[in-house]
Amino acid sequence: MSRLDRTRTSAHQLRPFFSSQNLLNRADGSAQFDFVVGPAEVKLRDEKLDKATLEVVVRPLVGLPGIKDKAREQAIRETLEPLVLSGLHPRTGIQIVVQTMKDDGSILATAFNATILALLDAGIPLKSILGAVTCIVDSETNQILLDPTSQELANAKSTHTFVFDNKSSITSNTESKDQEDAVEVATLYSDSTGLFSEEEYFKCAQICYKAVQAVHGFIRTAVQKKLEKEQQQIHS
Amino acid sequence: MATPAFTFTPSTFQKLHPAEFFRRFTTEGVRPDGRLLDAFRPTTVHHGVISTANGSAMVRIGGTTVVCGVKAEVAEPKLDAPDQGYLVPNVELSPMCSSKFRPGPPSEQAQAVSEAINRVLKESKVLDLKDLCIEEGKAVWVLYVDAVCVAYDGNIFDAALAAIMAALNNVRIRKPTYQEGTIKVSGGSTATDENSFTLKLARTPLSATFAIFDTTLTILADPNVTEETISDGQISIALDETGQLCGVTKIGAASCSQSAMKDCVQSAKKRTQQLRNIMNQQ
Repeated sequence: MSRLDRTRTSAHQLRPFFSSQNLLNRADGSAQFDFVVGPAEVKLRDEKLDKATLEVVVRPLVGLPGIKDKAREQAIRETLEPLVLSGLHPRTGIQIVVQTMKDDGSILATAFNATILALLDAGIPLKSILGAVTCIVDSETNQILLDPTSQELANAKSTHTFVFDNKSSITSNTESKDQEDAVEVATLYSDSTGLFSEEEYFKCAQICYKAVQAVHGFIRTAVQKKLEKEQQQIHS
Repeated sequence: MATPAFTFTPSTFQKLHPAEFFRRFTTEGVRPDGRLLDAFRPTTVHHGVISTANGSAMVRIGGTTVVCGVKAEVAEPKLDAPDQGYLVPNVELSPMCSSKFRPGPPSEQAQAVSEAINRVLKESKVLDLKDLCIEEGKAVWVLYVDAVCVAYDGNIFDAALAAIMAALNNVRIRKPTYQEGTIKVSGGSTATDENSFTLKLARTPLSATFAIFDTTLTILADPNVTEETISDGQISIALDETGQLCGVTKIGAASCSQSAMKDCVQSAKKRTQQLRNIMNQQ
């Protein structure tokens, strides 16, 4: 299975969008528009004296935001809270708006990835970046499939979304010949539904951890390319 | 002359430095309410507390009390699933249960908990929705499952899920007959085995929730409201009676190691078994 991959992302509203090729070998139709405003003034009742207040708004593709979107808002905000160096901007607000442009599965993971790119673009200070990926256990083949499409999601026995930061170290057991068991992963956010065993859960975590390394690489490359383009524009 | 030292009563210290006050306890392996770090609060389950509902239950975990009522109504099925009924779970967190909730539309927390429970019920296929069909394409049962929190002391997810599962187990619906566009339900003042049916639940998922504290790297079972406020993140694990996982959530706080997650799963297995025994006893 090797299909071309495209994740379209966008950052702060005045910047141009850019699309990049993703290193994950899956056709991913999910694309997302995401913008960050901040640090900006915040309503008095939401003001925190020693930190910046994070606000996340998730807008679906069609219709008004529902409880699914509220749950995603909570997930994104709670995951970002420990990552954003909010102590550097006390009594301010950072607003993140996530707008779905196309939904072909793995929406939450795409939202996380787009959010971190938007935060980087806005220049919000961060402790580390994060990378997210979704995987499913197929109900017929019991295979673990990364980055499922909506169709694959409908046939899933269980769905798992993992978010990892780029700081947790891999403690690999070099004596073990089987590389699959070697990694001790540390999860930043984990959400799994469906019916699954403990072994399946931890195996999915391992597989997603390896895939997320590619996401981290992509984020690094994307930011690099953007900076190079900006440099060219300044000097031309 | 000796410099005056600041001394606080414990309650003042708790108000001024809640995190530090808490840390003093956890380093000794206990919490301010006297529990050990991995202990769950005393739990009770009562079935059939609302006589006017099709099914109901009340669950108390420590100070958190949730009452759940299930009402069955007849409705037209959704166009893409003409032979299936549907389940509408809702968790209500109102000012009645705690002053931290304001009147008005449901807060983000209430919506997130409702959505989390909805996903556990749907994705782990607790109920075969085809069982709720009365007449394909014309009439199905819709079950409104309302879990109302009447006292909030942390860990709403465990209490609400347990109350909802106990209420669903308790449901009795009168057997309907479909006749040319109208539904007739058998008469009689009481619901008996002949004129009503109960729900066939494929599994009963129950959960255990833990709070994560970053600064001390501790994970506490069943946080109460003060612990929840100062915690950095939460882990919730739902299991069914066969030991299969029905849901795992880890949200907030810094990265959590696999071994910590494994410990939580083990603790959740014991806790859900204990909860099941409590539910089946009463």
